[in-house]
Amino acid sequence: MCDIIWCKKDFEGKPCNTINYLDPYCFWNWEGTINCAECGTVYYIHMIQGKMYKGPEERPGEKPDTSPLYADKPLDGYRFYGAGVEGRTRPFECLPRDIYLGVPDMVKFSIRGRPVRGHRPQPPSAGIAGSYGFNWDIPKLSPDLWEEYQQKIKNGEVTEW
Amino acid sequence: MAKDPRVTRIEDLPGPKSKEEFEEMKMPYEEYCKAQFDPGNEPSKPNALNGIRWMSTTMYIFTPHSVSNLAEMGAEVIKVEMPRMGDPMRHCAPFNETYLYPLHDSRPMTGTGMGYLNANPNEYHISMDYHLPEMKEAFYSLVRMSDGLTECYRPGTFDRWKQSFRYVQEMNPRFIYVWGGGFGYGPKCFGGSYDILGQAHAGLASVTGFHEYIGGHATKHSNWCIDWYSGTQITFGILAALHWRRKTGLGTMIEFSQVQAATRCLGYAAPLYGRFGIVRQRWGNWDTQLCAHGIILCGKSDYPDAKNPQDRLEARYAMISAFQDEDWKELCAITGMKDLYDKYKSHKERVEAEAQIEIYAALEKWAEDKSRSEVVKVCQDAGLLAEPVCNDREYYENEHWRMRGTVRWMDDPIFGDVLQHGSYSAGLMAKTPRQLNWIWRPVGADNVKIYHELLGYPTSKIEAWYEKAWI
Repeated sequence: MCDIIWCKKDFEGKPCNTINYLDPYCFWNWEGTINCAECGTVYYIHMIQGKMYKGPEERPGEKPDTSPLYADKPLDGYRFYGAGVEGRTRPFECLPRDIYLGVPDMVKFSIRGRPVRGHRPQPPSAGIAGSYGFNWDIPKLSPDLWEEYQQKIKNGEVTEW
Repeated sequence: MAKDPRVTRIEDLPGPKSKEEFEEMKMPYEEYCKAQFDPGNEPSKPNALNGIRWMSTTMYIFTPHSVSNLAEMGAEVIKVEMPRMGDPMRHCAPFNETYLYPLHDSRPMTGTGMGYLNANPNEYHISMDYHLPEMKEAFYSLVRMSDGLTECYRPGTFDRWKQSFRYVQEMNPRFIYVWGGGFGYGPKCFGGSYDILGQAHAGLASVTGFHEYIGGHATKHSNWCIDWYSGTQITFGILAALHWRRKTGLGTMIEFSQVQAATRCLGYAAPLYGRFGIVRQRWGNWDTQLCAHGIILCGKSDYPDAKNPQDRLEARYAMISAFQDEDWKELCAITGMKDLYDKYKSHKERVEAEAQIEIYAALEKWAEDKSRSEVVKVCQDAGLLAEPVCNDREYYENEHWRMRGTVRWMDDPIFGDVLQHGSYSAGLMAKTPRQLNWIWRPVGADNVKIYHELLGYPTSKIEAWYEKAWI
């Protein structure tokens, strides 16, 4: 951690007492305004090589350039704002949210349109003691998938790469 | 230069300008290599380790990888897993639904995670609860018919189960026994290990990432590189032991600590301490011995409109190398860092820490309004060594790797279409190349093949074991 902004502004009748964490990846050499995650007070800071060169100074009425990575309230139990809380902490942009749904997304075809066995349930092997043959006979074991695949071939959705 | 900096035009590249010119200038050596390695035609060639049978009672990546190297080079590997459950690595998958089904007959709703890839290819998968006294006979039969075994349990566990080296060498004096684990024998004997533990405890993480002074932390590599690396080191040990056995007729025991393996990558760290008492520090994307020779951050992404944030936000890093005096002069000329050139004319001066901080800051300042490919292009045009830091997608789309066959699609006999980049990128061998026949098999998929066809147990007995969950 390179530094924090400990906000002590009066908020809802008592000191805000929120620690806003300034992660070194973003703030190591940085100048601009940043909001407090709890009360929204805007502070101006100028950091050089991880040291607070100027600020934090309040800049009422200004729009913050960015937000802290996360924030917590150590005097207030375990209240905590994690990364990506809208309007409070910085958006968490590491994952494409439309792809990572958090729920199983059954893929039946690879990106080049050929069938994969990445979906469930699958038919049992019908072998002894869990034994499997060496080939997955798609037309026989997954006729629906085979049909879908034939359609894809007709539509030209199956490619080499 | 093309309007779109991402586009590489043949006329902008050094070398031949047309196909005809290329044909004319083409070195016969390249033709020779193409014919020798012949990507895609590996299955028609022999396997170097044909005739070696290896048992794998391993888990996760580190020890399985020591055996997967053998399997890709043609050894017959029997992976022995716990009944119904299998290797715990099967249950570790990256985000989202990256499983391939099925795991096992009795668990139709469970799959094997993609994390299992590259660690157990071409292996026969059987299940056996080998710590049960009832299954000892089958286990020992396999020992008598195999050349070796790799295991990864806590030290002494196999000894307690009467299947350690001192037991198995009585049954098969030619047996090569490999223990791969955390710390090895010694005061920390019972410490287990993970890749991250190996990286941390061996001191590797302490020299990875930027120094705290410039905003970094001790860092582990995102992937389990020490698992893969130490597994490969075990394979070397196994191959040497096989060679030794040809001369002496005797097996041996190999004891392999993952934590100790990671110190091998630390290079001069320990000797440096021994000579001067200096503890090596982190230097992140720069180099302690060469400058300029590092990775810099450019201002603009190469794919500002991409949907995937890894492309949209992260395609901004470029590797630049210009440490020789002439190259350094050129780099300063193209970037307009004339004052820095005057200041740090000799390599001895510019490799100093303070100089590097100033130089890389200036380089990143210069790259602030440029995209990664612009930076690379400008440097390459000036005859300097520069490459973009590529992501997986770019690796996949790279014609160079496709042509060499190191990235390719395979039709797995059970799991269907799989993109493969592991097996064929681990070195090309002209006569006996690595081969990938299947990525893995479900738990116990080869129970009948091994117990019945190899060891000769009747199928009724195999079914009885299966009912009791002994296999």
